[in-house]
Amino acid sequence: MKTSETVDLYREYRKEYATSRNPVLVKVGPATYLSISGQGAPGSNAFTEAIGALYGVAFTVKMTRKFAGKGDYVVSKLEGLWPDFSSSGDKNQWSWQLLIRTPKFVTNKEVTHAVAVLLKRGKSAEVRRVRLESLEEGLCVQALHVGPYENESTAIAAMKSFAEGKGLKLQGVHHEIYLSDPRRVAPAKLKTILRHPVERVVA
Amino acid sequence: MRAITLQDYKRRILQVLAHIQDHLDDPLPLGELAALAGFSRYHFHRIFKGMVGESVKEYVRRLRLERAASQLKLGSASVIEIALNAGYKSHEAFTRSFKSCFGAAPSHFRSIRRAQFASVFSGIHYRPGETVQHFRIRHRGGSMNVKIQQLKPMRVAFLRHVGPYGEVGATWDRLLTIMGKDGYLGGGTMLLGICHDDPEVTPPSTIRYDACVTVGDDFVPSGDIQVQMVAGGEYAMTRHTGPYNTLGRTYVQLLGQWMPRSGRELRDVSCFEVYLNDPQSTAPEDLLTDIYAPLQSQGNFQGGDEVIGA
Repeated sequence: MKTSETVDLYREYRKEYATSRNPVLVKVGPATYLSISGQGAPGSNAFTEAIGALYGVAFTVKMTRKFAGKGDYVVSKLEGLWPDFSSSGDKNQWSWQLLIRTPKFVTNKEVTHAVAVLLKRGKSAEVRRVRLESLEEGLCVQALHVGPYENESTAIAAMKSFAEGKGLKLQGVHHEIYLSDPRRVAPAKLKTILRHPVERVVA
Repeated sequence: MRAITLQDYKRRILQVLAHIQDHLDDPLPLGELAALAGFSRYHFHRIFKGMVGESVKEYVRRLRLERAASQLKLGSASVIEIALNAGYKSHEAFTRSFKSCFGAAPSHFRSIRRAQFASVFSGIHYRPGETVQHFRIRHRGGSMNVKIQQLKPMRVAFLRHVGPYGEVGATWDRLLTIMGKDGYLGGGTMLLGICHDDPEVTPPSTIRYDACVTVGDDFVPSGDIQVQMVAGGEYAMTRHTGPYNTLGRTYVQLLGQWMPRSGRELRDVSCFEVYLNDPQSTAPEDLLTDIYAPLQSQGNFQGGDEVIGA
């Protein structure tokens, strides 16, 4: 199914998706994402509906391009930004931004068109909230976490002390890249890349 | 209604085995064998393979070769006569098959007069004038993880692929591109494959496979994308993990090993499979596919209709 011309961002930017259980430093360049933001616990209705809307737009944009002979690309894995990750606040109030990395050649116009097509099909109005966004995280500390999402703290602590050992500190937003589908993979086997931007500690 | 038991399944397969023994010179079409044992023609070959450990084709071929071996050992017919008798058109083809089965060429086999049959799991071998009384069945599969689900009928848009299974990718590509650009792949859509034929018994060039996308009532068939209903009712479902080209093994385990011990009987419609992840972004060993085998109603199901894929 995959031809040699198929764009696969995960392969193309392999270094940015380093999957080492021990923390490593990665440099993440500018990237484009399809994105949808919201609030509520992971697994809540709002969260699940947002994922459906995001994938709906992602596949509609991809297939519209493909149908028009503009070439094929792989729809990348789901990712999430969690600005409240290290706060002590109620998890049910956490805000999040879900992302699917998308080739830079995809335009806003294509996204608007896909949204209109999906609405015409009677799909959830949530698709209206899907946007194209750019993000440049720069230097990040990154580690692979295997297991339930609730057990990320060990990996986070290791990432933090690794950064400190290099004269760096975590800053910005906690980022997760979901290599497994939580609906279909046992919690103990879930693979997630954890990423956090870092900056130099000024002495 | 009395629950169907493993003994019932065994008795029915035994009927088929006895019939094959007595009709080794006949063409033995699958439909006829299935009807003889009261199995659905959609599922019979997999039930047979799961229980006997060989496909019908392999089994018939082996018994014909074993008969040939015993004729070589005991009789005086020429090798070519025996070859023709065993259903081979040439001496060479017969010799090749014979060698792979007995480790020696027919003429050599005759001179050493040692009719040693390689052991097979079922324990059945050709014995002139004897009727098969029993056979050994495989014991795996009883512990397979299978769920019984009650499904609602599903409306699907589909493209039919006729040809080798290995080439269904191009059909999927076309279906998904057309459905995708029209906005039919948004949230909750399921991708199904309906296999009308088994690659073990149907020549690759004539295998029929429907690539399907679930749709609502608003979808209007156009061009070669048609609409069909996938029957509702009770299904036995199991999950296959791994590449698509090993799905056949899981089918045989479900239909030929789990099913005979389940107390249930298959319904006369095709199985279908549901693809749970995107083969473009998933490693083959992580691919997940749910296989649904249709069951005859027992009339006492307590649960409500389930929505699959959720």
